[in-house]
Amino acid sequence: MRIGRFETILLLGGPVLFLLVFFIAPFLLMTVASLQQKSGTWTAAHYVKLATDDYYWKILIETFKIGLWVALVTFVMGYALAYYITFHVKSQLVRRVIYIVVVTPLFTSNIVRSFAWIVMLGRQGIVNETLQATGITSSPLSLVYSKAGVVIGLSYVLLPFMVLTVSSILQNLNRSLLEAARDLGASPLIAFLKITFPLSLPGVIAGSLMVFTLTVSAYVTPSVMSGGRFNVMSMLIYQQYMVFFDYNFGAALGILLMITTLLVIGAYVMALERRARAAG
Amino acid sequence: MSDDFIVVDRLAKQYGPVTALAGVSFNVRRGEFLSMLGPSGCGKTTLLRAIAGFVEPSSGEIRIDGKVMNAEPPNRRPVNTVFQNYALFPHMTVWENVAFGPRRRGVPRAEMARQVDEVLAMVGMEGFGDRYPRALSGGQQQRVALARAIVNRPRVLLLDEPLGALDLKLRKRMQVELKRLHERLGLTFIYVTHDQEEALAMSDRIAVMKDGEIAQLGTGEEIYRDPVSRYVADFIGEANLIDCVAEAGGGVRLASGGLALPYSSGAAGATTLMVRPEDIQVGDPRADGGVVSVSATVRDKIFIGQSWRIFAVLETGQEITVQPGSSDEAERLARGAVTALWWPRERGRLLAQ
Repeated sequence: MRIGRFETILLLGGPVLFLLVFFIAPFLLMTVASLQQKSGTWTAAHYVKLATDDYYWKILIETFKIGLWVALVTFVMGYALAYYITFHVKSQLVRRVIYIVVVTPLFTSNIVRSFAWIVMLGRQGIVNETLQATGITSSPLSLVYSKAGVVIGLSYVLLPFMVLTVSSILQNLNRSLLEAARDLGASPLIAFLKITFPLSLPGVIAGSLMVFTLTVSAYVTPSVMSGGRFNVMSMLIYQQYMVFFDYNFGAALGILLMITTLLVIGAYVMALERRARAAG
Repeated sequence: MSDDFIVVDRLAKQYGPVTALAGVSFNVRRGEFLSMLGPSGCGKTTLLRAIAGFVEPSSGEIRIDGKVMNAEPPNRRPVNTVFQNYALFPHMTVWENVAFGPRRRGVPRAEMARQVDEVLAMVGMEGFGDRYPRALSGGQQQRVALARAIVNRPRVLLLDEPLGALDLKLRKRMQVELKRLHERLGLTFIYVTHDQEEALAMSDRIAVMKDGEIAQLGTGEEIYRDPVSRYVADFIGEANLIDCVAEAGGGVRLASGGLALPYSSGAAGATTLMVRPEDIQVGDPRADGGVVSVSATVRDKIFIGQSWRIFAVLETGQEITVQPGSSDEAERLARGAVTALWWPRERGRLLAQ
């Protein structure tokens, strides 16, 4: 069936309108606000302040570091889990149960989940008790109110994004390619490194991008689990808006986070694609 | 005599309640082109995969050149496989695909480059080294898959319906090329196919499989001329299978009280008479005897180029197909005509079920 011009406009109109109202308009409003004083006169002062005061840069870099750590942790754990589900779980039922367990964190409230982690990671929490009881550490680690705690908390909730994207790729991987590799003399490890992993890279890229952007924009988990001892960008933005009521500088911070995040993602995708081509 | 280069000894494979291989035994000679022929589900692919090392047998043994292979992983067997859908690595160029095997064996760079270029030329794919598999046609992918396997000079090349995805014309040409390659390389080929013409055209010997067992193993001519069962006769070439009636003394008649036939049903009580359409002649039988002659009514006849095909009905009501060598007699026959059909006695076989 062919659709006419009228139907096309009707079909596209909804999404375009949605984007205009909920994405482009707020974004333009924020951009405008970031370039104005409270009084409404135009100024670049907010950006000058951001560029010259390294307090903000340090927090931006800390935020990205946490983003990278979470991406790394979810990659290692998520890939292993996705691989296990795809290649070693034979029963369809067990596979479904594992998927449900993996997705469960997304169904729990952000705040409840963060406080639960504080309880578990505390000095007398189950993690430290276990580590000491098994003799791995002699004194409790300071896991709560630390960056490690934030990384743990965010990795936990963002793991499903990595598992689901990677496993969907692995499931569609043509198994006869692995047999061909084995047939041509590759050990299971070499077959994984030369065939399975390179072919699953699109899933890894998509998963880690989602995890990274969700981490650098996350607010509740870092603010609960940092215990006020350090800041990430989202907390700074929140403070400008809700504590100092400085909507203009808050907007500038928001724009800075968005643009730098886009740059990091762009560089990452380009680097990976070049590597994939070189390894290809 | 290297009659036992590959020995498959009572090889069986169970998948739960399903028997894929029911204790298969056979030998393959060094340098032989052996085809495993059968319909889908007959176990031929399972057998090939067991030799390659992808299927762990439930019992039995595979020996190659005297060495037991059962416990060897696929990467340590002296065999290479051409997979049904080629299984070319999509993220590697043609050259890298072919170089995959030599790289694993640690062949020095210069030597590897020489080997890869050589086999690419051998399969007519020189100049395609930088292409990715997705930029190749089916026939070209087929050649690359072949090159990727033979570059390793395996002692045995396993081919799993390698021409199945190609169109008829290309398939015929690749058959000839494969056959030439086999002669040139002197490798042992085990070739799985469901296409009996392909098996006849290429193989030194054919193993016809049925339900996880080998129904018959022999040269194409042996199997065509002297099939051991109705199943084999029907599977290889075209066959008229005429139901007969066995008598107490071992004699055979076309029907109860009907024409007596000069065959013996033997101990097995065989009652199916097989005659190939091209062995049956039309008209009065030659005078020197030693022939079987029956009477039939012509139902239809069609011209197929080199001769006529006649569909005739015997007195018993059974239809048989006739494709006589000389077309003069056949040309004269009109639909509905009653004629004599005859064949040399030895061209008919009495088969058990």
